[in-house]
This record gives sequence, structure tokens and C-alpha cells, in this order.
Amino acid sequence: MKPARLFAVTTRVLQDLRNDRRQLALIFVAPLLVITIFGVTFTGDVKDVRVVVVNGDMAAGSNSLSNKVISNFDAGVLNVVYANTEGDGVAQIQNGSASAVIVFPSHFTQSVAARAAGQTSVAQENVTIKLLADKSSPNVSNAIIAAVNSAVAQTIASQGRQPPAAVDSSNAVYGANAQFIDFFAPGIISVAVWQLTTLLTLISFVGERTSGTLLRLLSSPLKEGELVAGYAVAFGIIGTVQSAVLLAAAVILFNVTIVGDVLLAFVVIALLAVVSEGLGILLSSVARREAQAVQFLPFIILPAFLLSGVFWPIQAIPTWLRPVSYLLPTTYAVEAVRSVILRGWGLDKIYPDVVALVIFASVFLALATISLRRRA
Amino acid sequence: MKGTNVGIEAGTVIVLRDGLPALSTSAPSPTRKSVLNDVCIRNLTKFFGSFKAINNLSLNVKHGEIYGLLGPNGAGKTTVIKILGGLLRASLGEAYVLGSKVPNLNVVSRVGYMPQELALYRGVTVHQNIAFYGKIFGLSKRQIEAREKELLKLVELEAARDLLVDQLSGGMQHRASLACALLHQPNLLFLDEPTVGVDPDLRASFWSYFEKLRDAGVTMLITTHYMDEARHCDRIGFMREGRIIAEGSPRELLELTHTESLEDAFSTYAKSEGSQ
Repeated sequence: MKPARLFAVTTRVLQDLRNDRRQLALIFVAPLLVITIFGVTFTGDVKDVRVVVVNGDMAAGSNSLSNKVISNFDAGVLNVVYANTEGDGVAQIQNGSASAVIVFPSHFTQSVAARAAGQTSVAQENVTIKLLADKSSPNVSNAIIAAVNSAVAQTIASQGRQPPAAVDSSNAVYGANAQFIDFFAPGIISVAVWQLTTLLTLISFVGERTSGTLLRLLSSPLKEGELVAGYAVAFGIIGTVQSAVLLAAAVILFNVTIVGDVLLAFVVIALLAVVSEGLGILLSSVARREAQAVQFLPFIILPAFLLSGVFWPIQAIPTWLRPVSYLLPTTYAVEAVRSVILRGWGLDKIYPDVVALVIFASVFLALATISLRRRA
Repeated sequence: MKGTNVGIEAGTVIVLRDGLPALSTSAPSPTRKSVLNDVCIRNLTKFFGSFKAINNLSLNVKHGEIYGLLGPNGAGKTTVIKILGGLLRASLGEAYVLGSKVPNLNVVSRVGYMPQELALYRGVTVHQNIAFYGKIFGLSKRQIEAREKELLKLVELEAARDLLVDQLSGGMQHRASLACALLHQPNLLFLDEPTVGVDPDLRASFWSYFEKLRDAGVTMLITTHYMDEARHCDRIGFMREGRIIAEGSPRELLELTHTESLEDAFSTYAKSEGSQ
């Protein structure tokens, strides 16, 4: 390996990029757009949902338990309107103007008080708030159920009554104030670098093959390994800059918390970029034209997005599908970058992921080099 | 840089006119050099799957001559050049370039190759292409600068130095591609259809470059399917279906076939081949 030739390749790739505004846009603007869209849509908690309350509680006034529960509803989440009967409420769900009906039974205040006083004869239905939700939208119905539950718990606590058992989850080992975006931002950054690097090397190498430049290079003193390594350095640099821009955007726009060492995260992403580069070169040997290359896109994007733990952890993926996840280099990168950024882990703890990525990189680069071998 | 001579050193394989490699232990003498072959192909056959692209082909290119490989599309001209350039491996037979059996990485720095395709990076400037290929061939910054000046003058692209290849006309791109092939002062040039898609004026000036280069001692193997161009070559091989069907200087071929043009000469040979 001659560094001069290797860096000549790197320089050429970077020059090419600098001259091409569209590619630059693809590298920086596209992922920025992606992270913004995901950030805006997913951080948006469920807000201002119209719910119909049917309060049959015979105890009137602000002292009634039902009104206390209602006053404890999170006003940000639930927008309460009233109806006289359950049927009226359901009708509002059916015409699309409400998402749930909350029905308080007629002897609610009285029955709860009786039960609290130790009377065991109180019927369960008299102490049960009936919640009829439009569960076809699980996000919304889950938010309603959570809001009602928490209002009930709050009300009971404010009455000075202790629940028989309790869970305290207010302290956290990691990610004390983490929002959903804190969880998926590291994943989006990794997957964005993965996709774009694979796509760009794929297209570059289809170009090298069709434009004759590869012929010229392979009949020169340049070794295949130097070509692959030169590209790897270039895309390692591009991947790092790309992830820095994305991370900055995540911090500035969505207030994503960074606990760990950003540089370590960049190293992991650069490593992932090298893996992607190897894959791009490999795929280019099966694609004859750019149009064919683009057809690989869904296969590069979808598994990485869905199976490498970007939006839901590997633990949430069906067991039989998990081996696929473990075959994706992005799985290791997403996990490592997330652990560094969100948990503040160091190399001492993420090294298994780093080792996995190094193995992927070595195998892909070796195969890429072989795929370029002259003298077929 | 080495001179424009073959540069064969004592103890290496040299190739004699009859094409058989022979071992020489003495330094080549000037008289000997004149009979050296820079390219020697012996009984070469190349299969692509079951398709026989090259069929038992033998040919020699002497030091300092322009050898034209002439034939219709699909005759196997590019395959021959790719084997000589080390890009493809022969199925049968062997090929020697500058005394070394190819593929051989040791000769690549003395060989220039201009593929049929443009083989330039379109997204960077002419200068950046030249600098890149220069570095690949191990030239120093100063060497690159000097060669660039010289070559851009030769191919009349001085004003286009800092333009993107994409911004150049087709003819200018071809000239830039030629400049890149000449950058490292090769002793031997493989030019695969260098004049395809080039307008007649520029073609004429290309051929005058090639003649100038030959006079400076550069050996050239050029493929073309423009029969009329081949008169610029010192020797021609008519190629058809993977074989050389006739070989000689343009004048010899015209005299032997009693024809006026090389195109007619080619048809005469092609017909006699077909009737056999």
C-alpha cells in the first residue's frame, strides 16, 4: 500500500463531491430533513384530545370524587366536553368529534368512600370508571387511558389514602429526562450515514465501471486495495462530518441530550461508513447501470430502518426475526452510538459493538477488493 | 523517468521478432533493439463463457511502430487490448508486453492505456484529473506540473485546464483523455478506438500527434474501425471474428489485393476467409 496513491483517491473523491452541489445536498440536506420530520412528528406527544365525560355521580359539586378526578385530568392532553348519556358520548365518537367516553357510575363518590372504609359489599361496577375509547388509534387511546389513570391515582393520593402497593419510577439509571427523540436520534444519524454512504459508493463505482476510469486505474500501478482504502478514508471523513451536522441539528432543534463522548460516537459512525462503502462497492459489481443500482435502495434502507433498533429496540423485534437484526451492521452502530450519547458509555463498554463493526468492515473491504480484481 | 527505449535490462526475458521469448544475459545492443518486439502475442484464445472472442491469435508489434488493429465491431480488438493491459486473462496462449508476460504489475508504469470509454472523472476539472492520474502513476508534483503544461499544449486544452470535464465538448474530452494516457511518458501506448466520435479535423490532429510520438520512439497499438485512418499506421492487422486474417503495411495490403482502399482490401480478405 502506497499512501500517496491511496490519498490521491481520497482527494479525488472529495473534490468530486465539492464540485457537485446536488450530491452535497443529498449528503447534508436530506438527512437534516429526515431528522427534522421524524423529530417533529414523533416528539409531538398526544395533545388536545376531545373526550366526552358522562358524569352520573349523584354526589354533586366540587367535593364529589368524580369532579376531583376530572379536575385532575391533564388539560394539555384531554379536552373535556360533557354529555348526559353514554349513548350520546358514543355517538360523538362515531361521528368523529371525540376519541373517548368516560363514564362515572351513579354512586361513585359514595361507593369509593364505603369501600375505603372497609365495606366489602360494594359492587365493583359502582367504583369503576368506564372508559370507552376509539382504540383504532392506539397512540391516542393509550394517551387517554394514561391520563385518566394518572388522574385517578393523583386524586386518591390527594385524599390521603395510600394505595396497597406502589411503584416509584421517578429515578433513572440512564436517560432521566429522555424523550423519544433522544432514543431514536442516534439511530437516525447512524442509518442516514449508512444509507447515503452505500448509495454514494454504489453510484460512484457504477460510474467507475461504466466510464472506463476503473479500466484506466486497473491498468495503472494503483492496487485494488489502495482504491478501496482511498474511498474508505474519503467516506469515513464524509460520514463523520455528516453525523456531526446531524447531531448538532438534533441538539439545537430538539434539545437532544448528549451525555457521553461525542468523538467516540463519531468514530463508531466513521467505522459504519467504511462498512457501507465496502457494501456499496460490492453491490456495484452486480449493477451495470445507475438505474439498476438505485433498485437496491429499498434493500439498503428498509431493513436498517426497521430491524436495527432505530425506533424500537431489538427486544421488541420478534425472536425469529432477531437473527436478521444481528446480521445488520447498523444494529451494532445504532446500539453503540446510542449508548455513548444517551448513557455516556465509553469504549470499555461498547467494545463488543465496535469489534462487530470492525469485523464487518474487514470482511466487506476484503470482498470489495476481490470484486475489483483485474484479470477475469 | 526512463528514456523512451524499451528499457530491457540484462537478465530479463526479451522477445525476438519471431515472437518466441528468449532469455538474454547481455545488454541489448542497438542493432538488436531494432528487432525487438514491444508486444508479442502467441496463440492467444479468449473465451467468454462458450463464446470465443479471440481465436488462436498471434501478432507482434515492433519497437517504435504504429500497429493498427482493424476490424468491424465485435472482432475482438478491445479484448486483445484488455489482455495486453492486464485487465483480462487469456484463456489459452500467452502475451508479452515489453518483455514481460502479462498480466504483470511491473510493466504497467511503462504502458499507457486509453480505453474506448472516456475514462475521466466528469465531476472534477481537467487539471484535477491530470493531477490524480499523475499521482497514481507515482509522478512528483513538479513532474505533474511540467507534464501537464506540455500535454495541454499538445492537445490544445490550455484554456480548459480549470473547467470541469462535464463542461467540455466531446472532442475536448477526448483530447483530455489522451493527455491522461500520455502523462507518465509511457514507452508503449494502447489506444482503443481513440478517434471514435471525434470530428475529422481533430482526428487528423490526433494522428499527427501519434506520428510525432512514434518519431520520439513510442510504440503504439491502436484499434480502429475507421478503415481510412489506418493508412497512418506502419503496419495493420485485419481482424475478424477473433483472428488476424491479414497483416502488412497499408501499401502491401493494397498491392496484394489490387485494391484502392483499405476498406476494399479488408472485404477482399474477409470474402476469401468466408469462402474457405
